[in-house]
Amino acid sequence: MNVEMLPIEIIGLKRDLQNILHALRKLGCVHIEELVETQEISARPLTLDREMLQEQEELGFLAARLQGLLDNLGGASHRLDITLEQDYRLQARQGVETLLPKVQTLINRSEKLKSELASLPRYEASLRALLPIIPQSARLPGNRSIGVLVSREHVGVLEAVAKHILDLTAGRAELVARDVDKSTRAMLIVFPVEFTQEIESLLGREDVSRLRLPTELEDGPPDVILASLHRRMAAIPDELEIVEAMQAELAAEWCQKLAAWRDALQDELEASSVLSCLGETDLTFVLVGWIPAKEFSQVQQSLQEQVGETILVRQIPLTSTLRKRVPIILRNPQPAKPFESLVNLLALPRYGHLDPTRLMALFLPIFFGMILGDVGYGLLLLLISLGLTRKLNSGVARDVLIILAIGAGWSILFGFLYGEAFGTLGEQLGMHALWFERASAEHLAGLLVMTLAVGAIHLTLGLILGVWEAYKEKNRTHLLDRGGMLVGLMGLFLIVAVLTDFLPSSLMTPAIALLILGIVLMGASLGWLGILMGPIEFIGLIGNILSYLRIAAIGLASVYLAKVANDIAGMAGNLIVGIIIALLIHALNLVLGAFSPTIHSLRLHYVEFFRKFYESGGRPYQPFKSRIPLDQGL
Amino acid sequence: MDAGLTAIGAGLAVGLAAIGTGLAQARIGSAGAGVIAEKPEALGSIILLVAIPETMVILGFAVAAMVLLLGG
Repeated sequence: MNVEMLPIEIIGLKRDLQNILHALRKLGCVHIEELVETQEISARPLTLDREMLQEQEELGFLAARLQGLLDNLGGASHRLDITLEQDYRLQARQGVETLLPKVQTLINRSEKLKSELASLPRYEASLRALLPIIPQSARLPGNRSIGVLVSREHVGVLEAVAKHILDLTAGRAELVARDVDKSTRAMLIVFPVEFTQEIESLLGREDVSRLRLPTELEDGPPDVILASLHRRMAAIPDELEIVEAMQAELAAEWCQKLAAWRDALQDELEASSVLSCLGETDLTFVLVGWIPAKEFSQVQQSLQEQVGETILVRQIPLTSTLRKRVPIILRNPQPAKPFESLVNLLALPRYGHLDPTRLMALFLPIFFGMILGDVGYGLLLLLISLGLTRKLNSGVARDVLIILAIGAGWSILFGFLYGEAFGTLGEQLGMHALWFERASAEHLAGLLVMTLAVGAIHLTLGLILGVWEAYKEKNRTHLLDRGGMLVGLMGLFLIVAVLTDFLPSSLMTPAIALLILGIVLMGASLGWLGILMGPIEFIGLIGNILSYLRIAAIGLASVYLAKVANDIAGMAGNLIVGIIIALLIHALNLVLGAFSPTIHSLRLHYVEFFRKFYESGGRPYQPFKSRIPLDQGL
Repeated sequence: MDAGLTAIGAGLAVGLAAIGTGLAQARIGSAGAGVIAEKPEALGSIILLVAIPETMVILGFAVAAMVLLLGG
C-alpha cells in the first residue's frame, strides 16, 4: 500500500528562511518539490544573493580540502561521536591550515623516497658495468671520474671525445673503455679536478650523455659510488617507515575530526542546494513539497513554534498534474518489507495504484520452493542465508537473503512433497514422496499440468486486479484489454475442462463464445488494429501461461544434476573420490539452486504477473533531512 | 529406433530453442550491461529484458515434453 501524501505550501518571511530550513531538516519528513515543476503556485524562482553564493563556494572548497586531507591520511577507519561546536567551520579552516603543510611535507618526502628506491637499482647495473675498468689513477686524490655510456653504433664519437680530452688535459687524463653488452660501450674518464668544467662542457657539446647519479650518493670512482648506493638502498625503507609512522600519528590525531567536519559541511551544502527549488516574492519565500498526511499537523505546529505567526503552512489541492508527481512511500507489514527491494528494482508503483509487494511476498517464495523442492538443499540454503543475514544490518543484500531464507523454507516443504533430499539421495535413504515424485517419467505430465495450473491461477489473479485497477482509474482501454483477456481466459479454461471431461460437452459452445468475446473485447481496446492484434495478444497470453512451465523445467534440471552427482559418486569405485565428486557437483547445484529459482520466480512476476495490472512510474520519496544529528548545537 | 528418434527430436526442440534464447540474451545482455554502467537504476528493467527471450526455451521444453509424452 502507498502511504497517503499531501501536497503542501509553506510561505514565510525571507528573514526566517534559514530557521525554517533548519527546522524542516530536523523534522526530516518533507519532500521538497521544485517550484518550476509546480504550475499551481505563482512565485518567481528564488534568486541567491552574491553573499550566499560566495559562502556556498567557500564551503564547497573547504569540504574538498578536508576530503583531500582525509584521502591522503587514509580516511577515518571508524567513526566516533564527535560533538561539533557552533563555530566548527572556523575550527575546520584552522585545522586545514595547520595540517596541510605537515601532510604536504610528509607526502613529498614519501614520494621522493619511493622514487629513489625505484630508480637506484637502475644505476647499480650501469655502475657494475664500469667496475672492471677502473684504473688506479681514479683513486688518487685530486682526480675525478666521469662514466659515459654510448650505443656501439656511435662508438666513433667516443674516440673523438677521448682525443679532445687528452689534448685538453695535455695527456694528464686517463680513458678506459669496455663493451658492456651487445649494444652499449662504457667509458670511464679520469682527469684532474681542475679540468671538470671544460670536460663537462665538451661532453655537452658532443652530445654524449654521461652517467648522472643522484646527489645523495658519494662522489668518487664507480666502486665507491656503488658502495654508497648500497648503503642508501638499505637506509631508504627505514626512512619510509619513519615517514609512514608520522603520517599514521597525524591520521590518528586528526582523521575523526576531519571526517566530522566534512560530513557537517556536506550536509550544509546539501541543505543549501534545495534553495534552488524554492520561490520568492519581494519579502517572502515559497516552498512547495509533499508530506505524509499523518505528519501534517505536527509539521505545521513545529514550524509555527519556530517562527511564530509569520508562517503559513497549508495543504494545496491535489490536481491531476500534481497527482502524477506524488512521491511514493511503500507501507507493508514487516514480513513483506524485504520484498519492497524487489519491487523497487523494477519501478515504484504510481500513487494510488496497487503496490504488488504483498502479492510478491506470497507467491515468489512459493515459486522458489516449487522449483528447488529439495529438503537437503533447502536446509543448507536456510542455514547459509540466516547465517549471512545476521552479519548485515540493512540493505538490499539483507533483503535478498531474507527472501532466500523464506524460499528455502518453502523448498523444504516441497522437498517433502516431492520426496527429494539432495536429489535422489533421500529416496535411497528411505524417504518417500508425500505427493508425487516429480523426477519420475510417469509423473512428468502431472508436473507440467500442475505448473500450468499455477500459471493460470496467478495470471487470472493478475487480470482480476488489472480489471479492478482499470475500473478505479476509469481507463476504458485497460478495462477492455484486461477484461477481454479475463473473459477469453475463462473461455479457454472451460474448453480445456470440456475436452478433459471435467465438464459436460454441452458447455463447449458457451466456452467458445466466451473465448471469442474475450478476443473481440481485447481487439476493441485497440480500434481497427484490434482485428489483427486481438488474436495475437491472446496467443501471447497463452504464451504467458506456458512460461510457468519453467517451474517444472528448472526444477527437473536441478533434480537431474543432483542425480548425476549421486550416480557418479556411486560409480567412482573409491569412497573418498566418490564423496569428493558428489560434494563438488552438489555444491554447484546448490549455487544454481539459490540463483536460478530466484531469477525465474522474479521474471514470472515482472514479465507475466505485473504486466496484467501493475502501473509503475512512481517517484521515490526523498525527505529533506540531515545526515548528521542536528541536536549538536549546529 | 522410434524411441531414439523421439529422444533426438525432443533434444533438438530444447537445444535449438536454447541456442535462439542464448543468441538473443547475448545481445540484450551486452547492451544491458552498457545501460547499467550509465544508469544503475535501470537494473530491474534490464533483468526484465534479458528474461524475455527465455520464453523460447521454455516453449522448446514444452514441445520436447509433448514429443516425449505423446510420441514416446
